[in-house]
Amino acid sequence: MVKFTVDQIRGLMDKTANIRNMSVIAHVDHGKSTLTDSLVAKAGIIASATAGEARFTDTRADEQERGITIKSTAISMYFELDEDQMEDIKDKSAGNGFLINLIDSPGHVDFSSEVTAALRVTDGALVVVDTISGVSVQTETVLRQALTEMIKPVVMINKVDRAMLERQLPKEDLYQNFCRVVEDVNVNISTFQAEKIMGDLQVYPDAGTVAFGSGLHAWGFTLRQFAVRYAKKFNIDRNKMMKKLWGDNFFNTKTKKWSTKSTDPSGQFNDRAFNMFALDPIYRIFDATMNERKDEAFALADKLDIKITSEERDLTGKPLLKVLMRKFLPAAEALMEMICIHLPSPAVAQKYRVDGLYEGPMDDVCAKAIRDCDPNGPLMLYVSKMVPTSDKGRFYAFGRVFSGTAASGMKVRIQGPNYKPGGKSDLYLKNIQRTILMMGRSIESIEDCPAGNIVGLVGVDQYLQKSGTLTTEETAHNMKVMKFSVSPVVRVAVEVKNQQDLPKLIEGLKRLNKSDPCVLTYTSDTGEHIVAGAGELHLEICLKDLEDDHAQVPIRKSDPVVEYRETVSQESYDVALSKSPNKHNRIYMRAQPLDAELTAEMEEGTITPRDDVKERARILSEKYGWDVNDARKIWAFEPENNGSNLLVDATKAVQYLNEIKDHCVNGFRWAARNGPSADEQMRGCRFNITDVSLHADSIHRGAGQIMPACRSAIYASILMARPTLQEPVYLVEVQCPEAAMGGVYSVLNRRRGEVIEEEQRPGTTQMTIKAYLPVNESFGFVSVLRSETGGQAFPQSVFDHWDTMPGTTIEPGRVADIVREIRIRKGLKPEMEPLDHYYDKL
Amino acid sequence: MKVVALVSGGKDSTYNMMKCVEDGHEIVALAHAHPPRSSDSEEMDSYLFQTVGSSAVHAIAECMELPLYHREIRGTAVDQALEYTQTKDDETEDLFMLLHEVKEHHPDVGGVSVGAIFSSYQGNRVQHVCDRLGLKMLPYLWHRDQAELLQEMVGNGVDAILIKVAAPGLGRDDLGRTLAQVAPKLLSLHEKYGVHPCGEGGEFESFTLDCPLFKKRVVIDESQVITHSDDALAPVLYLSLRRVHVEPK
Repeated sequence: MVKFTVDQIRGLMDKTANIRNMSVIAHVDHGKSTLTDSLVAKAGIIASATAGEARFTDTRADEQERGITIKSTAISMYFELDEDQMEDIKDKSAGNGFLINLIDSPGHVDFSSEVTAALRVTDGALVVVDTISGVSVQTETVLRQALTEMIKPVVMINKVDRAMLERQLPKEDLYQNFCRVVEDVNVNISTFQAEKIMGDLQVYPDAGTVAFGSGLHAWGFTLRQFAVRYAKKFNIDRNKMMKKLWGDNFFNTKTKKWSTKSTDPSGQFNDRAFNMFALDPIYRIFDATMNERKDEAFALADKLDIKITSEERDLTGKPLLKVLMRKFLPAAEALMEMICIHLPSPAVAQKYRVDGLYEGPMDDVCAKAIRDCDPNGPLMLYVSKMVPTSDKGRFYAFGRVFSGTAASGMKVRIQGPNYKPGGKSDLYLKNIQRTILMMGRSIESIEDCPAGNIVGLVGVDQYLQKSGTLTTEETAHNMKVMKFSVSPVVRVAVEVKNQQDLPKLIEGLKRLNKSDPCVLTYTSDTGEHIVAGAGELHLEICLKDLEDDHAQVPIRKSDPVVEYRETVSQESYDVALSKSPNKHNRIYMRAQPLDAELTAEMEEGTITPRDDVKERARILSEKYGWDVNDARKIWAFEPENNGSNLLVDATKAVQYLNEIKDHCVNGFRWAARNGPSADEQMRGCRFNITDVSLHADSIHRGAGQIMPACRSAIYASILMARPTLQEPVYLVEVQCPEAAMGGVYSVLNRRRGEVIEEEQRPGTTQMTIKAYLPVNESFGFVSVLRSETGGQAFPQSVFDHWDTMPGTTIEPGRVADIVREIRIRKGLKPEMEPLDHYYDKL
Repeated sequence: MKVVALVSGGKDSTYNMMKCVEDGHEIVALAHAHPPRSSDSEEMDSYLFQTVGSSAVHAIAECMELPLYHREIRGTAVDQALEYTQTKDDETEDLFMLLHEVKEHHPDVGGVSVGAIFSSYQGNRVQHVCDRLGLKMLPYLWHRDQAELLQEMVGNGVDAILIKVAAPGLGRDDLGRTLAQVAPKLLSLHEKYGVHPCGEGGEFESFTLDCPLFKKRVVIDESQVITHSDDALAPVLYLSLRRVHVEPK
């Protein structure tokens, strides 16, 4: 066990080839945090004895109580490889000591924005999968996120002890179970891996990229451990031995011969090598200890070279099993070895990641420095999240140095997400007050932090909302903003119980907004304070934080409501005309719905306002049938200069048009943020300015005139294009025994759920049901489902898509009713403004 | 120099008169173009003239104890180009006729007081007319910073009220409020939406009730809010001044 000193760690931070930045990701309750604890125990930060119970990375009281991880936590660890192990590392290393920066992240879908923030600063991921429940919805989500961020995965198949003790799976069944999990993971990897620049990312037990074990009991292995053990015995190369230990390789104990068939010519059964060499000793230890045959267990231990102390000899049953297994196959050893050998160093990873990380040209100084992971290059640091400090209202900026060296006192350019190269907005020139190492519960100051490392910064929190780029290079573009897989689709209004607490609430909301990558807090036009989150649980945690930590005043909250989006369902039936208030300028507009696929591309960020105009126009015309000339004249993506609505200049040779562009875009931004029906965001609409007529004198066509005219014209065009709402829909995955299916179906039916897939886990009575469930129907879903199935059904919901609702906002019906409800809630007048309040006659 | 002042009733034409006097000129007459009596709306959306408040301009002449020359606007904005060329039936020709008449009665008038600030469209037309009549245009407010100018007017005792609003952020409640009362709001709308603080783009119109040049002041007895266009985002409303009288200060 190594006790770290900060100086020792700082020394390791210079050897980029020996650094591994990695996340631990998984579906909720698959055992990440427990597994992480056993790694941390190995690294010597907490005592070995408490591993498995302490949940070191769950630093918050509610995390400990609920037994789930809410915030991601970073820890640095140190591990040394032996000579043999070093041979298996393909890339050049500097000595055999490795610095591992591990981030444990939440598994519950509501917190997957934390996962995104964690993945950004790491290069590799340990994907933990429960042997029994297998690859689940959140496993898929995090895998997809990891591959989008170009993170290399390795896999740990966890809770093997449960498969053996509770389900009593025979060896071959367990092997088949493992195969299925590996296959499921690989199907996902090959689906989500868009580009092959990272090579084959699938995982293979016989390559050592899959580990098996029990995080709770702190034991685990990869085939490499057994290969090393048996290579000597059989006198074959350990890599060849590893291949033999997986798949259809069989061994006949009598003839001592290898075969690829499960029976020998005489009809005798051969044993699968994996079952015989890897599983058999484990099964024997389990069998002997659990059945109180201690002598046999100790004899076995002797044979396997396990040293037992005299106190341990007094143990029986599970505690004894734990001790034996942990000494036989220490999980930390196996996982650390797998991480060091198979996950890339920053130096290796940044070569291919630079393309997905940097917005600027791939040949400028910053791109080059990132690619080379150059500590002497210009500083390029991405802040992926803010971590509250013990000092109320202040935050550590948490991020990764991709090039250069971040030092205490250094003057840097702080570029927010809206910064444009050469511009001045969203840019601050400030000093980093302090650079720190963040290790679980504690922080340690360090002088500086070179490229390839994860770091915390003091003193930049006031200048960044949630994330951003820090650099010393004046020409640097931004690092790409992170794409979240969840959206804040559920919101509540909050108010203080005592009016004099209002300033504290407002300050608290600001802090809450900063502390969570996904939460959104804002004040509506009617003065309501809104908190929006990914789901019920996420909101619950956010509001608890708000009340207990950020505001520290008693608050009242409204029932949760969902966000809607406004859209149009057909092209405007006529050209909409709006005049400026002085009546001397006219704007003509037509609205039309965008292709659903195009909308998705814009939301996923594959088509953005930052693209090369001509290239984007080519894609729009080839893929979506746009007129190339129109496609080259997209003025804006809104809202937030990043949205899924487009304003297009479709005019022909109009004078002064460029002068009013900014005013039109401002009017458009406003319209896209607050749609005409329910004051909700617009989504998936295209607005074509077909013509304008303008006053000859610029003073009479200023912002005050053009902005309202453009906004009116857009609203008029929407009302002429069958306006409707889109509601958010979850993908729900429910796992339950076959017997509980009736209850699941009846709950889903009552809540407008739509079952899309139903699957039985092979060899079990466990069913997996996938369904679409409107978010609006999801409140209380979990508890109702539990009560109707006797607690046997476990749902996970993740935001999936926006569903266009049938009907329009302007004709009587369900959509119009919802609009009315929203308007009343927002304090607007219940009826929508009629068309002629936007539309002007010539 | 003897000067005729073009007055709309608004703050700018009033303040420019104050500037003329300050500069040593003598105002001998007022001139005003008004909407046709037959028109059903006081707001003609003219490109050149402020027409709301027209019905009370006579009171300003009374307050200043000066003769008022007026003429009905018969033309429209036929030539809408920035530079004006003499065009039949254009509203600019009404301005020409108006000043022509003043010149006949006051042959010694040499200058025209005009409250234009930034509108080249209006400036060019007044200049065009002045050139044709051999008059000198006296635009003291020309290209002054509007925010500064607004404060200056308030500081120098121009007591004017808003009688028309046509901009995002301005509404019914603002009608009838004094410049001093709305100045902070106008400045913030300038920041927020780019509304011109002096309303030079047509964002609002005003009517002067009193200023240091007035010997008496205007009192509004009866007025009515008229909705000119019921736009949901920037409704255009104006105050029709039905009955006014002047009283000693």
